[in-house]
Amino acid sequence: MSRPVTRPLRNLALAAAAFLVLGWAPNLFHLPLDLQFDAALAVIYAFAILSLVLLTGYVGQVSLCQATFLGIGAYTAAWLFNVFHAPYLLAMAGAVALSFLLGIVVGIPALRLRGIMLAVVTLGVALVFDRYFFADHAFDWFTGGSAGWRVDGTVIARIPMDWIGHALNVYRFGLLLLLIVAVLVVNVHDSGSGRRFRAIRDSELAAATMGVDLTRYKLLAFGLAAAIAGLGGSLFPLAAGQVSPQPFNVFYSLQFAAFAVLMGVRYVPAAAIGGFFGAFVPTLLGRWHPWHLEIRYDWFQVALGALLVAQLIAAPDGVWGDLRQRVAHLLRRRAKPKVAIA
Amino acid sequence: MSLLKVKDLSLSFGGVKALDDISLDLNRGEILGLIGPNGAGKTTLFNVITGVLRPDSGTVRFRKRSLNGLRPHRRAQLGIARTFQNLQLFGSMTVLENVKVPLDALGRRNLFFDALGLPYAVHAERAAESRARAVLHFLELLPFADILAADLPVGIQRRVEIARALAMRPRLLLLDEPAAGLDATETAHLAELLQAVRERFQVSMLLVDHDMSLVMRACDYLYVLDFGKLLARGRPAEIRDDPKVLEAYLGMASPRLRGEVGGGPKEEAAPLLEVTGLAAGYGPIEVVRNVNLQVRRGEVVACVGANGAGKTTTLRALSGVIRARRGRVRFDGQDITHAGPDSIVRRGLIHIPQGRGLFPKLTVEETLRLASYSGEAVKSLDPAFDVFPRLAERRRQVVGTLSGGEQQMVALARALLVRPQLLLIDEMSQGLAPTLVQQLFETIAVFRERGIAVLLVEQFVDSALEVADHGYVFEQGTVAHEASAAELRADRSLIESSYLGRDAEAKVVPIPLNGHARRDTGQMEEFLLTLPADLLRALQERADEQGRPASDLARELLEARGQ
Repeated sequence: MSRPVTRPLRNLALAAAAFLVLGWAPNLFHLPLDLQFDAALAVIYAFAILSLVLLTGYVGQVSLCQATFLGIGAYTAAWLFNVFHAPYLLAMAGAVALSFLLGIVVGIPALRLRGIMLAVVTLGVALVFDRYFFADHAFDWFTGGSAGWRVDGTVIARIPMDWIGHALNVYRFGLLLLLIVAVLVVNVHDSGSGRRFRAIRDSELAAATMGVDLTRYKLLAFGLAAAIAGLGGSLFPLAAGQVSPQPFNVFYSLQFAAFAVLMGVRYVPAAAIGGFFGAFVPTLLGRWHPWHLEIRYDWFQVALGALLVAQLIAAPDGVWGDLRQRVAHLLRRRAKPKVAIA
Repeated sequence: MSLLKVKDLSLSFGGVKALDDISLDLNRGEILGLIGPNGAGKTTLFNVITGVLRPDSGTVRFRKRSLNGLRPHRRAQLGIARTFQNLQLFGSMTVLENVKVPLDALGRRNLFFDALGLPYAVHAERAAESRARAVLHFLELLPFADILAADLPVGIQRRVEIARALAMRPRLLLLDEPAAGLDATETAHLAELLQAVRERFQVSMLLVDHDMSLVMRACDYLYVLDFGKLLARGRPAEIRDDPKVLEAYLGMASPRLRGEVGGGPKEEAAPLLEVTGLAAGYGPIEVVRNVNLQVRRGEVVACVGANGAGKTTTLRALSGVIRARRGRVRFDGQDITHAGPDSIVRRGLIHIPQGRGLFPKLTVEETLRLASYSGEAVKSLDPAFDVFPRLAERRRQVVGTLSGGEQQMVALARALLVRPQLLLIDEMSQGLAPTLVQQLFETIAVFRERGIAVLLVEQFVDSALEVADHGYVFEQGTVAHEASAAELRADRSLIESSYLGRDAEAKVVPIPLNGHARRDTGQMEEFLLTLPADLLRALQERADEQGRPASDLARELLEARGQ
């Protein structure tokens, strides 16, 4: 039974390799500035999708307000940095803590609701923050007013981290954090806690009867998912230099859900794929002029819808899930029963 | 004191008493059976004991501690495990992972250690793994350890459910219909398995099942529920001969019909419906297999048998509501095995499901006018109102507000107007008062007069057989006997075996009297007996005379009293 021992080590090694390859790949391509920003954005998106992998993929709870938690993370970090002049790392920690607490609050309705009703409630949360909290003057002290916060000249561990000329540093820093969190999330999957989470997804009734504390684990899942999204959000001021409500509105929440389902909501690598997909594809589409046609951003959303429909029919387990299965099939690793069924 | 003590438990769902003052004692080391017809409240009782439902009144005590107000996972941690009637395995996990879930849930591991993969977590994981494998080994499930639970056949899934429950090391195991979907040999194997499990895991059990061959073999003591009330209790052999129980199961007191309605069987007619080797089921569960039956034109055929024997599933497969997996169904000379439900209806085969399939918001008249399965409008409602004058009075009333019996009349009237060739009626009398049932059975004769063949699934066995020409007895998912209704009426033993498993030789476990052959003391109840001094003296004197411990002698005396 060496499996449980080697898994965490193997995951760590994979993450280190991914960091080296993905972290310095942009240097090979000599990315222009706007795409450097997209690289950092891809990591931030990946955090949002990773939070859904944990919450929806593992625990089976729907949430349509993960962009809101990105926003909470971004605003909290910028607020702590600007108002309290906190070191940025500390500001990020504060952002994660506040997101975690808010996530637990949002999780309370999930103790009673599930499926579509829960989706509506979380959508409501997203709308409240989108239209009221991030936008109303009553919260100017937190949101920095209509001008938002500016975040300049941040330095973490003596490495300059800002949007002017150091976007790739932000990208690598974010990627490092993303991979660490991803390894933790993967470790959880095969552990006792992960099984409890997945038990809730498969049958709440049976899980409770087998001694799983539903209240505790559901709230924990919501809190952790929000914390992951909040961590991603706290990178946003570094990458963009400022914070405004627009990137955290309800449509982004819906898009994250779409990316997660499209790429395979049960699989951690799908988060990274979804993040890069969501950040780069719209920009690249905007530069592409086939037959001198102008490709607009709306077209990306139309294409996303079409892709989702195609995926649900052809690969219901998502792009990554489907790929995984095909590879496993090729390798014939699927265990077959060795004895006749008694 | 007993391990589990249920006292005066009551629970109503919207006016219906699901549990009505139920009291029950389960002793340490005992396999207690809980039987009763559908809707008797057995699963409800399970849900109350495990904390899924909250009772209106009454108490549940487990190991001398009140469980009131404790949430399900707390009760699990105290040592109550259960399996589910409709399998509730974690389908996307492997069998091994399924069994590990309760092990982790009871352990002291937390997310922090797990996420970091710290040595402590790795150690706990190894411990869980080896314990899970030990349980799987005992239940002969090791070969399936790495297979996803959802991919396994039902027989194995049921065993995985038991394994998962046992992994908790429970004191009490609640088994909700563990034999559902198993065939006769699997059921026999299960009965032995449960005995072995009791010895090995030192667990007491509360067992609910319709399958009498299992209950009679596995249980030490039985409680019989009916309509949420405790009907009887006793040893399996006593229960089998208890007239009250026979009545609840067979509807012995089902209303007598006025005069003989059943005419002679019409042997010469060609079969209208011919079913050969039919198999059907839901998801991984194959409920019926190898069903063969025939209905001739204008004939009334009754299907009887215990709950879960596959009667309703057969009807559903015939009318195309669920797909037949194997076998052939010929109706009116055509093969309809794979026809859709709508095309089957158009051919003149109509199915009145359990619960009647009415639209609750429509009035009686609207419902009857809609009765045009063939697409033609209904010209006149008079034929229906002739048979059911009461419906004429209620023609403007909304169906949902009618009584159960009147609703059944609407369903029958609707079928009458369409003039089908064959009518399938599922549990026509369910939940109805005897006088109404009598009236409804009489209308079956009207159908026959009009040349409409009827296939009945019925709980009121006697009434059904009186009105029918021919009968099929279902047992464990297939037809066990077939005979003319007259023969079935004459030879009750054919039917009773399906309900009470009389065929199955009930295993009588002799209780050894010389102490050590008995189960270990951890599995025994302590019981303090208060005796008047003279009786105690007499007991001790006799024990001295025979040179044996007084407890042995007491047990012998009690045992003799029990037999």
